Amino acid sequence: MSSRIESGPDVTGNGHAGHPAGQVAMVFDLNKCMGCQTCSVACKVLWTRGEGEDHQWWMTVNTQPGLGTPKGWEQMGGGRPDGRPKPGHQPGRAEFGGGWSFNYDEVFYGGKGRSVHLQPTDTGDGTTRWGMNWDEDQGAGEYPNSYYFYLPRLCNHCTHPVCAAACPTGAMYKRAEDGAVLRDEELCQGSRFCMEACPYKKIYFNYTRGVAQHCILCFPRLEQGVAPTCARQCPGRLTFVGMLSDPEGPIHKLVHQWELALPLHPEYGTEPNIFYVPPLAPYRLHDDMSIDYETPRIPPEYLESLFGPKVHQALATLKTELERVRAGGTSEILDTLIVYRWPELFGPFTTDPAQLERTPEKVAVALRSKPAGNDHG
Amino acid sequence: MRVPEITDDPLQPADAAWRELSSQTVPLVPVPLESQPNEYIRTAWEGRPYGRVGEVQVAAARHGERLFVRLEWADAAEPNTEFPDGAGVFFPDSADDGPPVTIGSRAAPVRLWAWRDRLVVQQDLPAVRDLVASGPGVFQPVGPRPEPDPDERPGGPSEVSTGWALADGRWAVVVSGNVGAAASGRMGVVVWDGSNEERAGIGAVTPSWVPLAVA
Ligand code: SF4
Ligand code: SF4
Repeated sequence: MSSRIESGPDVTGNGHAGHPAGQVAMVFDLNKCMGCQTCSVACKVLWTRGEGEDHQWWMTVNTQPGLGTPKGWEQMGGGRPDGRPKPGHQPGRAEFGGGWSFNYDEVFYGGKGRSVHLQPTDTGDGTTRWGMNWDEDQGAGEYPNSYYFYLPRLCNHCTHPVCAAACPTGAMYKRAEDGAVLRDEELCQGSRFCMEACPYKKIYFNYTRGVAQHCILCFPRLEQGVAPTCARQCPGRLTFVGMLSDPEGPIHKLVHQWELALPLHPEYGTEPNIFYVPPLAPYRLHDDMSIDYETPRIPPEYLESLFGPKVHQALATLKTELERVRAGGTSEILDTLIVYRWPELFGPFTTDPAQLERTPEKVAVALRSKPAGNDHG
Repeated sequence: MRVPEITDDPLQPADAAWRELSSQTVPLVPVPLESQPNEYIRTAWEGRPYGRVGEVQVAAARHGERLFVRLEWADAAEPNTEFPDGAGVFFPDSADDGPPVTIGSRAAPVRLWAWRDRLVVQQDLPAVRDLVASGPGVFQPVGPRPEPDPDERPGGPSEVSTGWALADGRWAVVVSGNVGAAASGRMGVVVWDGSNEERAGIGAVTPSWVPLAVA
């Protein structure tokens, strides 16, 4: 049984920060993300294969700059920029796009394999005009100085979850033991104020079942000492998981000690618990193709628009550390970011799920309203 | 309003029994903004008109243990693809409870039978929910969420049931449940205009209780 931070100021949205007993946090090092979407697919396979979940991607990776998912989400409002909730837009089905069905029958079995190509079936509701990774690798800038990077996103399990504060039924709550922001689907009545209020637009609506759904921070895994699947499956070894307040852990050092890992859009005011090491891009080139050491390839003001003004110091720190190592020195920061030993990413959550006794009933009861099987003893 | 005893179950709004019964026109007002349950909803709907359905025609009948309430109202607007139209009737525990405009309160919750139209993909969802309402949108299901498929629901079909039709720009909806819910002799009505994104506590409600004289 989880305990709720029930009637605290976070939930009413009227007061100051209330911190859970422990906050599980994550850091993504954007310098190492290659946009492979293994994290997205791992999450999809684990959590959103059910009815009404076709279009749901609790984990997404988008190319920046870009419109992302849902389309143009940064312009949709929500959050608590000055400590008070700001009205937001509820993204609709077409803005998420995706969840397509394809004309497999026609192409493979309908005798039209040479005249018709495989494509999503247009359902007339705009959902085939966007998707979770629609603007992949478009980026910005002009060759040879074009630029882009990848931004993995999930629910930020915010310290001020405006989503929960906007929920009229009390279905949404922040869990005391690990700070996961969760929803009791038994209580959710599908009014979707959470979707409006969340400034990161990381809540989906299950139209078939009439409930909202979002990333659960893999809480059934955390409870067993297993890292969230997006982190554990990442081949780039870039996703740290751990307790934010553990002074010995890499998360605390990256976020608080070195101030190298930053929240996305801190101005939204919800205090995310997912952090990013901002990207240093390769050097720019002059017209004569010589290296321009002075002008950053990614405009610093663009990075500031994403990660706030602290991004400049974070990038300066990264550069200094790189230079020191290039000159033959050592760097605890770079050693941390390199991750020589894979389990170092996962703090207290290093258990191998393959070694666990499986208890599927627990997960089924926690996440689905369907009772466990009834007539097979 | 008189609630006569009849001999059949008029679950469909076009059922013959309703033609014999008189109906009453009941005015509706927006659920007050200041009573909305949180700052987000109050801020988001400040200055934004809602509660657009101004009146509803109400008729009621009883057959044994079942109460049937028929609601009819004008709905000219194009349907919304995100938020369906809806309506509900609710009953206080006691005749002393405060006015119905907040759809119950923490101190005096009401029993709410809430119908909503189904989106195309929701054909298997129950169209009527049996809820306890402790304020505008502060709704909790009575018992566990019903299984979408009635055959799989423990105990068979839900105790509340419904029938509905949209014709000539008018919704007609019947909701039915155990007559015991109406023991206080009072009923409130709420209507949500989905085309205006109305849902939860954002809707139109009866400013005073509709008295029910159950035969
Ligand atoms: S990211 Fe959105 S859904 Fe997640 S806790 Fe923050 S406000 Fe809520
Ligand atoms: S799995 Fe890792 S490298 Fe691949 S997209 Fe996700 S975060 Fe980036």
